Amino acid sequence: MFTVNKKVDKILTLYLPLTMLLSFTIFPIYWTLNTAFKPEGDIVKRPLQYMPVNPTTENFVAAWTNVGFATFFKNSLIVGVFTVIAVLICSTLSGYALSRYQFKGKRSFMLMLLCTQFIPRAMMIIPLFVIFKNLGLISNPLSLIITYTAIEIPFTTILMSGFISNVPKELEEAAMIDGCTKLQSLRHVVFPLLLPGIVATGVFTFIYTWNEFLIALMLTNQQSKFTLPVGLSTMMGEFSINYGALAAGSVIALIPAVILFAYAQKHLVNGMGGAVKG
Amino acid sequence: MKKKMTTSVLALTMATGMLLAGCGGEEKAATKDTKKAATKSDEPVTLQFWDENAGPARTPVWEEVIKRFEEKNPNIDVEYVGIPNASAKSKYDAAIAAEDTPDIGSVQTTWLPEFSIREALLPLDSYFKKSDISKKINPSATGVNKKITQDGKLYGIPYAQNLDALWIRTDWFEQAGVKEPKTWDEFFTVIEKMRDEANNRYGFTIRGGAGASFTIQRAMFAYSGLDFFDKNGKTNINDPKHVEFVEKYFSYNDKLTPKSDITNGYKEMIAGFDTGVVAMVHHNPGSYGEHNKALPAGSYKLIPLPTTEKGQYVAEGGNAVNLAIFKSTEHADEAWKFVEFVNSEEAQSYWNQQTGQIPTNSDVLDDEWVQDAQHIKTAFEVYNNPDTKLYEPPFYLPDYRAILDDVVDPGVQAVMSGKMSAKDFLDEWAKAIEDSKAKYDQTFKK
Repeated sequence: MFTVNKKVDKILTLYLPLTMLLSFTIFPIYWTLNTAFKPEGDIVKRPLQYMPVNPTTENFVAAWTNVGFATFFKNSLIVGVFTVIAVLICSTLSGYALSRYQFKGKRSFMLMLLCTQFIPRAMMIIPLFVIFKNLGLISNPLSLIITYTAIEIPFTTILMSGFISNVPKELEEAAMIDGCTKLQSLRHVVFPLLLPGIVATGVFTFIYTWNEFLIALMLTNQQSKFTLPVGLSTMMGEFSINYGALAAGSVIALIPAVILFAYAQKHLVNGMGGAVKG
Repeated sequence: MKKKMTTSVLALTMATGMLLAGCGGEEKAATKDTKKAATKSDEPVTLQFWDENAGPARTPVWEEVIKRFEEKNPNIDVEYVGIPNASAKSKYDAAIAAEDTPDIGSVQTTWLPEFSIREALLPLDSYFKKSDISKKINPSATGVNKKITQDGKLYGIPYAQNLDALWIRTDWFEQAGVKEPKTWDEFFTVIEKMRDEANNRYGFTIRGGAGASFTIQRAMFAYSGLDFFDKNGKTNINDPKHVEFVEKYFSYNDKLTPKSDITNGYKEMIAGFDTGVVAMVHHNPGSYGEHNKALPAGSYKLIPLPTTEKGQYVAEGGNAVNLAIFKSTEHADEAWKFVEFVNSEEAQSYWNQQTGQIPTNSDVLDDEWVQDAQHIKTAFEVYNNPDTKLYEPPFYLPDYRAILDDVVDPGVQAVMSGKMSAKDFLDEWAKAIEDSKAKYDQTFKK
């Protein structure tokens, strides 16, 4: 009797809520996929088709070649990868300093980092535009990389300092007793244990740059330099929406994010275990 | 305690610094337009052109127009930048504030007063006067453009106009034996008659979401035939006729129109029509392409908005898109060549045929495709009818658009959900317009 009750309990408290939550999240993705594989005429047709009756890849071809998603994808990738590299270098180093060293004004510095997060992004657009115009960087991916890096560093630094604090100081000290220099102990002891943190921060940053719309739109005045979100939004004109290409474009834009998460998830779990054992 | 104080002071300084940085963007004004050097006509020139309504439907059309232009003007290269419609205004705003505008831009009529006060645009009067297109372009459209700017100059040449109208499902009307509505009374009866519970069909769909303000404004003025302001400069928004109309119009909500109407934006509203849920929708010829994709030919058509009691059609002035030249351009003459070309018979004919808008160049109206395109012809006939009344909303009020978005759109939803009476809603709207007008009149002496 007891075991049956336990089973029912598990279904009610675990599986049922999870299934509901999952279907809630999955449905829009399913519908996007469903739309992406339908020919233009079938998309708004009644009765609704829950599975494409005449499946086609024409929307993907149209999005990739005609609409220019190949270019948008490349631009987004360039901006994303370089931002992640810049953010990781800066935030790991500053995070280490914040976590390991005591210095005057440390707390207020942390507070300032947090304060930068309160500033609405939209407020920075005109100043940013003027700065980058004077630097001659409008429509240059570098302007986006710099902006995103600056926006992301405060938060990722705090995130990183948290991860670093979780790595026991004693491990470093032990390595140094065994003859490691400070940098060697960082490289051989701290970084491997920090991998989950680095991956999490990297993914977090990448997803932000991948999805960011407003700044990318404002700082780019050339069609060939648009990033994916800007390209996607041009699919919705005032009088016409190309649902098929829009859905196909969204699917294309989703792929890197999904792959990244699938990969990062494994690392997060593995890395965490390692840190606890250490 | 002391430590805490330092912390707060530091944080405050930083936050203020960031705020100030946000306001310091205007210093570098007026350096660019001094550079306006005269270029020789055969030197290669690159013009940047911004399209405010880019998308899969319009971008290829512009690219074709630009290709044709470049063939005729081999020394001019036009660089197309497509801006998503929803963010176009903010993109222009940022560009104007940062003094980094394109050479030519496609701008909506409602933006002209603001952009001209901000001294972003080049007056086009002298170019226009000298050009052949001045004899062809619809004078009422250019007239509105001049009337709404503070200095009465022409800052944009309208290359396409639009007209609110009704799309109806002719096949359902025939089946039900219902005639097309010609007056607003007939319109309301049609809503009742076309409700078909068995087939889950509704007679009409009300726009309650984004853009609801435009629809209700145009519908109520079409009903009353009033001007926007009366002789004493008081707005007619809350005239008893409008109260009566708005009350009746929204009383159908949730009874004879779909429940989801309260959040209806363009997409939802048109999807309702195209998926066979509603028999009638208030929009304009611009959605033709969508209906054409979704519905069989001959099952739908465009009819004018019903007439006033006196049998008069009413249209809103300034419902057009224009080409404007930005002051910062270094190639004004070349930019004008492009504006002139886009407004030529050839380009306007091609552009408007592809996008389903109404040409402003009178030569285009004889073209065969216009005669064959039911929706364009209908819309044009309304504009061409000598009795059609044009009312002119005060686009020149800096708050005009903000009032529509922040007072009228939410007001429509409040009326639809029964939280506000039609009269209170219109009073609030009228007050917002009048306050804004008083402020405007005070600033510009009047």
